[in-house]
Amino acid sequence: MEILLSTIVAGLLFGMVLAMVALGLTIIFGVMDIVNFAHGEFLMIGMYTGLLTAKATGLDPLFMMPVAAGVGFLLGVLCYVGFIKFLLRGPMIAQLLGTFGLMLLLRNLALLIFGSEDRALHHGILVGQSFDIGMGVIIPATKLAAAALSVVSFLGVWLLMNRTKLGKALTATALNAQGARYMGIPTERMNALAWGIGVGTVTVAGALIVNFWSVNPFIGLLFTMIAFAIVALGGFGSVPGAFFAALVVGMITEIPGFWDFMTYTFELDWMANVPMTSLKYMWVYLAYFVIMVVRPRGLFGWKH
Amino acid sequence: MEALKNALDFSDFPRIDLTVAGLVLIFLLAFPVLGFSSFAMATMIQFLMFSLYGMGWNTIGGYGGQVDLGKAQYVGIGAYTTAVMLIRWDIPFWVSMPVGVCLAVGWSFIIGYPLFRLKGHYFAIATIATSLVLKDLFEVWNFVGAARGLEISPIKFHPPDFLHLIFKEDVYYFYILLGFFLLGIFYINWFRKSRLGFQLRCIKDNEDVARSLGINVHWAKIKTYAIATSFVSVVGSFHACYIKNIEPEDTMSLTISILIALMAMLGGAGSLWGPIIGAGILIPLKSYLKEWLGATVGLVGIDIIIYALIIMLVSAFEPRGVWGIIEKLRRRKRN
Repeated sequence: MEILLSTIVAGLLFGMVLAMVALGLTIIFGVMDIVNFAHGEFLMIGMYTGLLTAKATGLDPLFMMPVAAGVGFLLGVLCYVGFIKFLLRGPMIAQLLGTFGLMLLLRNLALLIFGSEDRALHHGILVGQSFDIGMGVIIPATKLAAAALSVVSFLGVWLLMNRTKLGKALTATALNAQGARYMGIPTERMNALAWGIGVGTVTVAGALIVNFWSVNPFIGLLFTMIAFAIVALGGFGSVPGAFFAALVVGMITEIPGFWDFMTYTFELDWMANVPMTSLKYMWVYLAYFVIMVVRPRGLFGWKH
Repeated sequence: MEALKNALDFSDFPRIDLTVAGLVLIFLLAFPVLGFSSFAMATMIQFLMFSLYGMGWNTIGGYGGQVDLGKAQYVGIGAYTTAVMLIRWDIPFWVSMPVGVCLAVGWSFIIGYPLFRLKGHYFAIATIATSLVLKDLFEVWNFVGAARGLEISPIKFHPPDFLHLIFKEDVYYFYILLGFFLLGIFYINWFRKSRLGFQLRCIKDNEDVARSLGINVHWAKIKTYAIATSFVSVVGSFHACYIKNIEPEDTMSLTISILIALMAMLGGAGSLWGPIIGAGILIPLKSYLKEWLGATVGLVGIDIIIYALIIMLVSAFEPRGVWGIIEKLRRRKRN
């Protein structure tokens, strides 16, 4: 029972952080119908930003969220103005391969600058702390803080998208770019803003994740695929959809935990022999495939 | 007979194209005796392999307009079938290769049926997902060596062994692959003039119109996907015998899938010569950049950075590739 409970808690906590990871992807996709392969790479940059600034200033990386957000926003706008703008004119395959090129570029620049070794945070006010909430469930403080802060930032972005004029303009651009242009909305600037917000949120997520996850230049692709799965499940372009889908995907990444629970509860030997932990992320990819085939619009899809 | 005639008939190309193609062919035939280094030879084999991959991708991605980014799974199926059959049961390449193609095509039907209900981005990402699922499974499957992969030890064989395709010198591999290469060109040349080829181009332009003309869109896509798959699987089998050491990471990773699509796109998707031009530019560039910058200067990954910049520039400014530029120039000259 303890295993089941702590697995569910771990899944939910990780899911809340993942919501922040996927938020940027769904905003960018919603506003301009472009699939960004470099998404995980921006997360990696956020992780390095959090880690390095924390090491340089001696503060906890949780306080580095604004720095990460700023770096991400600038990087996003820069990417849009310098590269994505030209990509949008071309056919879909050019967009896919173009953002893939961006991913290769960022990944290998990181490799060149930071080296290939894993880097982890060893100090900080929360590292190593944990809460025992009873019934054998132990929550690491870093994960709890990351989940809580990510929910707060998620709510902030949701309010920005739904309760401000700026957010309305973004949504209008997403729904009908030409119509929005006739209404006097500077769609070009809105696209750049969407990239800024999209990349800014994912770098914030990176600064949160680096508290409990070591970083190397190759970490991006995994998160890109997880983010794709979340966005597909929640519906491409849907912000609340991304949140609930992220909780589900967080649970899916904990399938090995559920598997262990079944193995111990029913004492099945053959189950113990399956290398479930190595297949951890396969379930995410499989879930993505099944979701796309069964319900291409996702749970909360509003486009297409 | 008609099909054969069609395959060998290149008369609808301008004479300059055929002259260049002929010169390239003569160069390829004579390449081993020109006295290039073994590094150049290995690069040339890579070039032939990737142009075959690209030609396969070009059927579904270029003529059909379906962006498939999961071709690496079929490289893996082909390579693993050949390697497993060779190591465990000593079955020659010429038997295991068709078996590999059958397995790959069978798998492509199973996943192709649901896949082609999707369109555009959704399709592209779903193909990546299937490829990664298969890769993860191969990484834990002990029968195929899990993450360590398989190694064909050449000691058991007496090179040159034409049945098992185990050679000491690259020259043999080169000529066998060149044979496949020419067959591939003839096949694509037939394909683009076949009924399926015309149906696909119609689907690419407008799916609804295609459907209203009585084309079974779903089935046409699945069939073409199988054709692309068999191309990739054959080269995958060859890859197993040539490299002799295969693991999931370098046969089935996303990078391979993307490289395959990139060859065709850089050269010009949807044209006969496109994938060959693309591979001819990218593969030597990649090898030599790695050799010069990566090894000599000691900057890790600088080759891929330059590579990535080229990808970004091409996709932003000339998405129709080199062939697109050539055709634009020709049109300007005519007017």
